[in-house]
Amino acid sequence: MVLLPRVKKDGTVVLVGTKKGGFVFHSPDRRRWSVLGPYLPGMPVYHMILDPRDGRTVYAASLNPGEVWGPGLYRGRLGSVPALTKSAPKFREGSGLAVKALWHIEPGPEDVPGSLLAGVEPAALFRSDDRGDSWSGYDALNHYPGRENWTPGFGGLCAHSVLLDPRDSRHLVVGISAVGAFESKDGGASWKPENGNVRAGFLPNPYPETGQCVHHLVWDSARDGSIFHQNHCGTYHRGPEGGPWTEVTKGLPSDFGFAIVAHPHEKHTAYVAPLIGGENRVPPKSQLAVWKTSNRGRSWKRLTKGLPGPGAYMGVLREAMSADGGDPAGLYLGTNTGQLYASRDEGASWKPIATTLPPILSVSAGLAR
Amino acid sequence: MDSRIRSEELAHSGVMVHIPPALRSFTDGQDEVLLEAGDAASLLRALDAAFPGIRERILDEMGRPRPYVNVFVNDELVRGTLEQVALSRGDAVHILPSVAGGSLA
Repeated sequence: MVLLPRVKKDGTVVLVGTKKGGFVFHSPDRRRWSVLGPYLPGMPVYHMILDPRDGRTVYAASLNPGEVWGPGLYRGRLGSVPALTKSAPKFREGSGLAVKALWHIEPGPEDVPGSLLAGVEPAALFRSDDRGDSWSGYDALNHYPGRENWTPGFGGLCAHSVLLDPRDSRHLVVGISAVGAFESKDGGASWKPENGNVRAGFLPNPYPETGQCVHHLVWDSARDGSIFHQNHCGTYHRGPEGGPWTEVTKGLPSDFGFAIVAHPHEKHTAYVAPLIGGENRVPPKSQLAVWKTSNRGRSWKRLTKGLPGPGAYMGVLREAMSADGGDPAGLYLGTNTGQLYASRDEGASWKPIATTLPPILSVSAGLAR
Repeated sequence: MDSRIRSEELAHSGVMVHIPPALRSFTDGQDEVLLEAGDAASLLRALDAAFPGIRERILDEMGRPRPYVNVFVNDELVRGTLEQVALSRGDAVHILPSVAGGSLA
């Protein structure tokens, strides 16, 4: 690997959160990669992003230094060591809830440059308008009636997917394990569960209003409000009209997986990384594979060139796949055994760009400016 | 000159809080802080009043010590609610991260 100390302007960056720190891979051409880090060495970095609004600011969701002192959010300029923000999301004292971990950081609306949304465990959504220095909660979601009956998934009761509609910042969709998807069309003042036709095969009633184990939600690049959805029990798509989801698992080797990423500019196109199932979270036939749809999930194509297997027994976690905005799009996939793979041709072929990282929790690609 | 307060002076002065290295950024590097408080919960509020932000590193929003954070009064690990832990002048409070060997993390 060529070592370039500085991230070049207009270069591609891939931010990788791991169980033992954050790493920034960068490349001027997506062929030669350099790495910076680890940042926050030894600390879990649950999610690390480059703010696409300026192409320079990095946010990392982790813990306060020393690990045991509670959640911490870090902010810094790309290429520099990030520093703790003044505060992390927290519930009001007396609410009976306490934030355990920050799972997802989402840039806020384009026209509010310092705004951020954070999905946390236990499941809740917070917003900052000052680059993470102070936070307020979305109370209507965070204290949703019946919350006391929400149950955690294996990874905890967490709000992990946060979708902010680029057409209308009052429109939000949040994914919570194992509760389901919630949608707001009034800026978070009110929320509605949106889990119609989503299976919860582990419950006596497999189609409840809530209780579904959503694993990840992403906007379809159609930019019309359509959403792709990877669940514990199947893969789904929902059209611009909203309402019940359409299950699109047919054609995939299993109904289980975590990661799902939309093509950055081809509508109805997405990628998933299926795993055998909840009891055995490894690739089917021990071959790591990415499956692509170009038609909202009506059909899927298996992509394995350059990916390990047979004999591959790793997993891919919910935040561990990302696409850059290039043309052709670059795709990046991290494994929980520490390999980072990149594709410069929209998934047709892959190459490792790192093979000995700590277990990878998140991968997020962006463009340096 | 030794700036540390001697134990006999301490007995008349208040409760000595021993600050772990990870939290000394709040205390300008001080490893010991002398405070007046009648119970452990009040002590941590007094500590936060002197060094804003330090309490929420030790306790979560429900007022419980964070997992893997231990509060000792003298040599005794606090197990109940902090309000129920009475303090007297001359007590020493240690705030320490616990070891977590073998953790999956």
